Amino acid sequence: MKKADRIFGVIGLGLALWSYLESTRLKYMTEFTPGPGFFPFWVGVALAFLSVYLIIDSYIRKPGKNDDKKILPEKHMLYRVGFIMLMLVVVRYTMNLLGFPLTLAIFTAAILLLLEHYSVVKSVGYGIAYSAVTWFIFQYMLSMGFPKGILGI
Amino acid sequence: MDVLTNLMGGFATCLTPYNIWMAALGAFLGTIVGILPGLGPSATMAIILPITFGMDPIPAMIMLCALYYGAMYGGSTTSILVNVPGESSSVVTAIEGYQLARQGKAGTALGLSAIGSFFAGIFGTFALAFLASSLAEYSLKFGPAEMFSLVLMGMFTIIYVGGKDVTKSLMSMAIGLGLGTVGTDIVQGEARFTYGVSELRDGIDFVILVMGTFGIAEVLESAEEYLKIVPMKVKFWDLFPSWKDTWYCRWAIMRGTLVGFFICCVPGSGPTIASFLSYGVEKSVSKYPERFGTGVMEGVAGPESSNNAAVSGAMVPMFALGIPGSGATAVLLGGLIMYGLKPGPMLFVENADFVWAVIASMFLGNVILIIMNLPMVPLFASLLRIPYGLIYPAILIVCIVGAFAVASGLFEVGLMLFFAVCGYFMKKANIPAAPMLMALLMGPMMERSLYQALNLAHGNMMVFIQRPISATLLSIIVLMSLYVGYKAIRGKDRVIQEEEE
Repeated sequence: MKKADRIFGVIGLGLALWSYLESTRLKYMTEFTPGPGFFPFWVGVALAFLSVYLIIDSYIRKPGKNDDKKILPEKHMLYRVGFIMLMLVVVRYTMNLLGFPLTLAIFTAAILLLLEHYSVVKSVGYGIAYSAVTWFIFQYMLSMGFPKGILGI
Repeated sequence: MDVLTNLMGGFATCLTPYNIWMAALGAFLGTIVGILPGLGPSATMAIILPITFGMDPIPAMIMLCALYYGAMYGGSTTSILVNVPGESSSVVTAIEGYQLARQGKAGTALGLSAIGSFFAGIFGTFALAFLASSLAEYSLKFGPAEMFSLVLMGMFTIIYVGGKDVTKSLMSMAIGLGLGTVGTDIVQGEARFTYGVSELRDGIDFVILVMGTFGIAEVLESAEEYLKIVPMKVKFWDLFPSWKDTWYCRWAIMRGTLVGFFICCVPGSGPTIASFLSYGVEKSVSKYPERFGTGVMEGVAGPESSNNAAVSGAMVPMFALGIPGSGATAVLLGGLIMYGLKPGPMLFVENADFVWAVIASMFLGNVILIIMNLPMVPLFASLLRIPYGLIYPAILIVCIVGAFAVASGLFEVGLMLFFAVCGYFMKKANIPAAPMLMALLMGPMMERSLYQALNLAHGNMMVFIQRPISATLLSIIVLMSLYVGYKAIRGKDRVIQEEEE
């Protein structure tokens, strides 16, 4: 966890700097009240202070129970998580082209086939079923305006 | 008497077929969520929330509240039958409950847990009605300075009492405050952190953040491993504890209820802390503490009553002051804002119908849950046989739909995925996401109060310590900070209570 604390501390410092820089672009105070730059400035200061404390603390504190814990999971776990995230990103960028039902059917089938090792028939079957149920509830019953894509539905 | 009159009015509003159906649906979903490991009530409420966009606020909130306390009922089932807690507040139930199940007393444990939860739910709702309305009435005296100090105190209390690493929680809160500044500022209408992206001009929707950091991040963590669970089988007639057992546990139920409710009135403590505390209380008052861990009925009845009463307790600051006490109540608070209501003391004045209908529905929901939980436990337990591999794609699809529903655009879906990755690594690094979510919700409220208070006081910063209520609230923050700092320096207790332990 010490390593994680240091990484988080550095990220916190980066965010603090970002917030500070944004605040310099904005007015800090108006006549009586704080201006738009007031909050980002103090958020930056607080975050910087806390980040530095976290980094220093990670060097000087005695090793604890959780300090041996790794931030990243085992390889096979990371593969599963990475694959799911990749599929979600694919959904994000293909939905306009392929449309809502087709994208979700492919998403489900790909996860079940490649990650959960279901047979092709079962994966495609579940993909179509999940997509159809979602489409029926949200598009047909609740009239949500999802991208129609190449299928036009 | 006013409270009872208002409560009767609440019943009149909530007892419509549609609202009853919503309460039953919420209770059913909550029970399933409680039973299935890997998805907590906060995440589920976050996922369901955007779908309730078009609904009337009363049935929507009735469903979300029922889902919350339904999860507390359901959580005990897996703890007792498979020694795998469905959610964190049922962890302690597994200690005694699973031992009882191994001795062939699974039905007794499940029955006691349901009866205790029912009693705690009913008592807690009564206490919520009386306490929240009195507190809201008092807090009507609050001006902008008091509101600023109150919000600040609420955030610090959540962090100091919440049982996490204080530094990391404070950092999470600071990031949440930063996220709250994204969009058009309230003072001069200037765009902050938007960089020309029009979707960011209205700020970051809390639904996107909560679905990413709670919903998808939680699914990702659960999907790391393939979950295989085989529950014990329980016969229907074995589910009812004997009258003797119930009578024997009456004081444990009573103690658990009181501990759960009053502990959770303090923002930051939650059902998990309440259930552990209740277990500790039971052990300390027991004539045979050495038997704890081998299957003691009070060790199930107390904590299970406690985590249900805690739900009502956590709603006291949420309804009365507009301060969420936990991740789940933060989602509920976000729901109130989303439905166009103004959380805080004025809620009891401006939306009295709404508040009393929701409180009244909690009585109804508890009745539905006891009816649903006792006979349907074997059915609910059989849900555990559905592989998680088939469940999580469906949850992810609902998340995508929910994010899309926020603004009918894919930008929000992308933003949710970004927060999901952040949330996943935050979980890995033991950084709590709840303070960030609460700060995103309360940051703009705090900024507005600060602006109004200073405007009224012509820029005099002393206004916050010249007004007695505000000064008292700020003094509490200082005292809490000194205490936490003292503990940290002494090094005896590093204020880190590793939740996952």
